[in-house]
Amino acid sequence: MPDALEARSLTKHFGDFAAIDDVSLSFPRGQVHAVVGQNGAGKTTFSRLICGLYEPTAGEVLVDGTPLRVGDIRSARQQGVDMVHQNFSLPPSFTVAEAMQLFDPGAPAVVGRRAMERRWSEALRRRGSAIDARRRIRDLSVEARQSLEIIRALEGQPTVLLLDEPTAVLAPSEVQGLFEQVRRLRDSGLTILIILHKLPEVFAIADTVSVLREGRVALAVTPIGEVTAEELTRHIIGPDSELPQAHSRAEDAVGSATGADHLDQASGTVLELEAVDAPPSASDRSLEDVDLRVRAGEVLGIAGVEGNGQETLLDVLSGFGRVSSGTIRLEGTEVTGLGVLARRRRGVRFIPSDRNSQGVSLTTSLWENIAITDLLLEGRRWFSPRGRKAAAATRLATWKVKHRRVEQLAGELSGGNVQRVILARELADGVRLVIAGNPTRGLDLAATAFVRAGLTALAQEGVAVVIVSADLEEIRDVSDRICVMRGGRIVAALERNAPLATVGAAMVGDAA
Amino acid sequence: MITNGSALLRSIVMIAIAIVACAIIFQLSGYSAVDAMSGFVQGAITGPGSLMSTLRWSLPLMLVGVGTVLCFRSGYFNVGAQGQLYMGAIAAAALIPVLPGPAPVRMAVGVLAAIAAGMLWSLIAAWLKTSTGADELLTTLMLNFIGALVLQYVTNGPLRDLSGSGQVAAAPPLPLDVRITGSSGVGPVNVTLVILVLIGCWFLVNRTTFGLSATIVGRNPQVAARQGVNPRSIVWSTFALSGGLAGLAGALEVLGPTGRLIQGFSPDVGFTGVLVALVGGLTVLGATFAALFFGALAAAIGYLPIVTDLPRSALEVLQGLVALLITVQLRARWKKRAAKAKPDPAPAVSKPGVSEPAARTEDPT
Repeated sequence: MPDALEARSLTKHFGDFAAIDDVSLSFPRGQVHAVVGQNGAGKTTFSRLICGLYEPTAGEVLVDGTPLRVGDIRSARQQGVDMVHQNFSLPPSFTVAEAMQLFDPGAPAVVGRRAMERRWSEALRRRGSAIDARRRIRDLSVEARQSLEIIRALEGQPTVLLLDEPTAVLAPSEVQGLFEQVRRLRDSGLTILIILHKLPEVFAIADTVSVLREGRVALAVTPIGEVTAEELTRHIIGPDSELPQAHSRAEDAVGSATGADHLDQASGTVLELEAVDAPPSASDRSLEDVDLRVRAGEVLGIAGVEGNGQETLLDVLSGFGRVSSGTIRLEGTEVTGLGVLARRRRGVRFIPSDRNSQGVSLTTSLWENIAITDLLLEGRRWFSPRGRKAAAATRLATWKVKHRRVEQLAGELSGGNVQRVILARELADGVRLVIAGNPTRGLDLAATAFVRAGLTALAQEGVAVVIVSADLEEIRDVSDRICVMRGGRIVAALERNAPLATVGAAMVGDAA
Repeated sequence: MITNGSALLRSIVMIAIAIVACAIIFQLSGYSAVDAMSGFVQGAITGPGSLMSTLRWSLPLMLVGVGTVLCFRSGYFNVGAQGQLYMGAIAAAALIPVLPGPAPVRMAVGVLAAIAAGMLWSLIAAWLKTSTGADELLTTLMLNFIGALVLQYVTNGPLRDLSGSGQVAAAPPLPLDVRITGSSGVGPVNVTLVILVLIGCWFLVNRTTFGLSATIVGRNPQVAARQGVNPRSIVWSTFALSGGLAGLAGALEVLGPTGRLIQGFSPDVGFTGVLVALVGGLTVLGATFAALFFGALAAAIGYLPIVTDLPRSALEVLQGLVALLITVQLRARWKKRAAKAKPDPAPAVSKPGVSEPAARTEDPT
């Protein structure tokens, strides 16, 4: 009998970037299969290929031995594959019954409200749920919404159910309830693929585990009993031997007892956070009691699994987000209440983690993208385009941005060059502190090296640098010290030569 | 948003297509397309007083259109020019008769009051936007209806001219010494004023930090906010500017060609102003030319029934077609952009200052 779900040489390219590269995995039926990996390892792309949302560039997906008709969620559902997305899909303004009806492909075109509510009340009861079918989706708790999403999927009688990071939105106590539900479903014969971030959860629920790294299979469907937490961590972040050591800061500093050769012990503290609490930002959780200190010339790396408060921290540091309590000091002066521009004028520069939506306006010319920053910093009211274009051209040349004209739209450049434009704009004059979020995400090797070298060079000149990154290698490569964020807190402060396994363990929480 | 030269070229092509389509419709309806087109040219350019008439209709469209450009560029769809214009007209017409002092001073105060009234009417929508996130498209549209009803009330009630024939409710005519222009609607003062406004707006958009900030807020509010632009202040200032310009247009109407407050006067200026902004590619220069075109159209609509048996509404078909084509064009551009966006959606990003759709992000994410 064929396996419930099989991926054969599955490959998915976005442009010339291979998000999933020749992945072959086969999942036996009736088990819970965990798929883990770092951010950008290709987990989400993989699950979207499986549920028919994306069309693979090469390879195929087999459901019960039958090839999946690709690029169409509905036919994937008919073939028995359904997915519960990380961001829920039920319309918030609908009642439970309306939403369920909406997603039921076999529903009649005309139906009475009473009949509809009766039908779904019954279905919910049958599935052991206490949710009232007449309530509005938006009034339900996150937990209830998720279980509703699962019931929605189950009503289509799937044989394979995908759960994309279902625990990310839940409180620890709620995770237990979810796992019990998952176990019940497995015992009823369903095959479950569950994408997870935290190792303790993997060990709590999974029958097998697979690891993706950089779009490839690092560990294929292995029974959970045959692997330890340490081995798993190593598969996720890659074996130590593969790390490019040659250009790391640790190597540069050989022979220096303290390791921080360019760091003058007397150099002052540039950034200081004291007991900072902050409400959740639009895309990330709240911050709790964060203390940080960065000295001039120092690179502080902040590691962590995405969604543990890093985006909120970036917002708080740049002045874009507000704190609820605590103090932020810049070179001894309190700046807690200052906005973005006031902090910029004090030498704070910001490299956002999403360069295309926060860094530059893609539909705006290169020179305008640079001029806006300079003009605001200088506090000028008007300008001559000719002067600004010349200034932009010089800056772009310094940072070796490949471009044809300064009037070119930023969106016409490649990702690496867009990042260079941002560096060219941010790292000009009067920089005291650089806050960089995932500065090399999605960049190729050359661009990555360029960006890291640029940030390192700044630190040599005495600028304080904070790098928030989900990429452990990057953190290790460039940082003088490493802080690890988990659950909105700094859970570990480590030296740069701390073993990756220690950092990794702090990121995912101590596995049993 | 469309802001470059190729967009202007596209607009010209759209207008050409609309004219050809219109000619076909006229022909099929049994009228002579050639007569209609020659009537159009006469009414807009070559006929006696036609150029004057074109200019008379273009001037308010320039003010309203450029004001709309300012708001649209920063991504706020303020379509409330009609109501703002009425408020400006009411303020000028109500204040001037009761003011003491010499005529030029009363005229100037009346114009300033009109600008202030237009601004205040516009700022209601800005306030709703920044405090509750209410969609400005809806609030400004609704405020147009309220503005029209206020005008109806004022002309039927407090300011009603009881000596008039009473067919259309209107206020008493304003004394000639406070009028900026006569019934032609074209005079040195208002033409100079409009030219100064156009130059000022061009400078604002192309040469000032405020203009650049507003443009970038319109294209990607996330980016602008992270550079230290406050989207709220952009909302307040662009709404105030466009409202002030519409109010000014209202004052120039009552102190010019209409000469008095009349119920429901110039009912299309606000709507046509939106077309002017879009056809002009959201640039000041483009909007100026577009205003001339639509002004010509308005002049021809008034002239055509004199020389042909074509009904007045026939040329309104032309205006409607241009509106339709521009909408289709915008939608096509929007779809093309959506298709260009990367397949892997970026994580949800926070919205700056303004609580709701300030993040009508035009950039693909």
